[in-house]
Amino acid sequence: MIFDLSLIADSIPKMLAGIGITFQLMALSAFLGLILAVILLLMRISGKWYLSWPAQVHIYVFRGTPILVQIFIIYYGFPQFEFIRESIFWPILREPFGCAVVALSLNTGAYVSEILRGGVLGVDRGVLEAGSALGLSARHKFIYLTTPIAARLALPAYSNDFISLMKATSLASTITLMDMTGIARTIVAQTFAPYEIFISLAIIYMVLTWGIQKTFGRIEKYLSRYVKP
Amino acid sequence: MDAVTGWWDDYFWGSMVVLQVFIFSLLLMVLFGLIGAAAKLSDNRVAQKISAAYTVIFRGTPEILVILLLYFGSAIFLTSVAQVFNPEIKFVDVPPMWAGTFAIALIVGSYATETFRGAFLGVKPGSIEAARALGMSNLQTFVFIRIPEMWRLALPAFGNHMLSLIKDTALISIIGLNETFFVAKQAIGTTGEPFTMYIVVGAIYLGFSTIITLTVMGLEKFGLRTTEGAR
Repeated sequence: MIFDLSLIADSIPKMLAGIGITFQLMALSAFLGLILAVILLLMRISGKWYLSWPAQVHIYVFRGTPILVQIFIIYYGFPQFEFIRESIFWPILREPFGCAVVALSLNTGAYVSEILRGGVLGVDRGVLEAGSALGLSARHKFIYLTTPIAARLALPAYSNDFISLMKATSLASTITLMDMTGIARTIVAQTFAPYEIFISLAIIYMVLTWGIQKTFGRIEKYLSRYVKP
Repeated sequence: MDAVTGWWDDYFWGSMVVLQVFIFSLLLMVLFGLIGAAAKLSDNRVAQKISAAYTVIFRGTPEILVILLLYFGSAIFLTSVAQVFNPEIKFVDVPPMWAGTFAIALIVGSYATETFRGAFLGVKPGSIEAARALGMSNLQTFVFIRIPEMWRLALPAFGNHMLSLIKDTALISIIGLNETFFVAKQAIGTTGEPFTMYIVVGAIYLGFSTIITLTVMGLEKFGLRTTEGAR
């Protein structure tokens, strides 16, 4: 039960070697997930049932199942089918990295689209009426009025989801990807020193969380610079 | 879907394990959340600091890491304790179910701390003054005024915490809990149909989530029945 400090000093650089994969997973999935979220949002508020229904089903399914199941279905499940192995997506779905990005994007897209919807619904009616009075078309109102206000309203919730996404990247270690958690699990399997390794890794993740919170706090401040305090 | 035929009973027992973990972790989660909220709202600075550290730590680390740490960590800790009494013991095995239940309750409890804190702050001061005027003791005020007013405010967020809890049970399979995920792995070993087997797992979790969502919706309606006019 004594902390082996030299082991910590040894293993932190090894784990940090995996931070690149963590960042890549996070950035790629956040970007693709945001695009998907906007598409899902537009489908939902389109008012057409054949667009809104598939979006709602996607959101319901991906919010109702554990992300681990989603990752496993995509990584282990899809290769069961011949047509997927022969499709153009195979180079992506063959690699654990591609699968993790696909699963994380689909998952975070579902959550973020709900957050964005909350932002869009929170836009003051008066602003939209003012837009109508100025003769803006529905599309212009959406682009110039709804989007900037909704983005500001949705940002605090979005930053929480971003942190969840960062934490979810650690699940990529279950499909043999060597991110920080994957490396830590290998080290623990060799040394059997879970306290030292996992606690130092937890601190690394907490620093990342803190960094994300600070960054989003700055963006929020910037976006609300013209809002009366 | 033919491949699943022989596995339905295994999946059923797996779901029962999920349910059991869910119920125990739910109880623990409420307990941790209430203790955390009480500490945050107390005047004691040490309690405030400890509670703040608790929420920062468990909200900032990945769930899987907490589960792994508690599972392997508690095994090592208990082994070293046992060796003090009996040096013959080589290794104490901790059941993954309890390590996992405890871990996910701790994680979601840190989120519940914030929810409960906000809900307790949302109790109207007027209600508490009214209770004082009626001569209620602190305990009576807590049981008859604060709790009934606070649970309605906490319910929407609490529903989300329950959903996180049921989804986090899937992570306990990583440390070897014999639940639906584990059944799927065994089934894949004999049938070689990973997609079908994992889809069944997904469907089971979707079913659990749906039940929770519907229950929370019903409870919300029940909670608001007396305040219909006010909203």
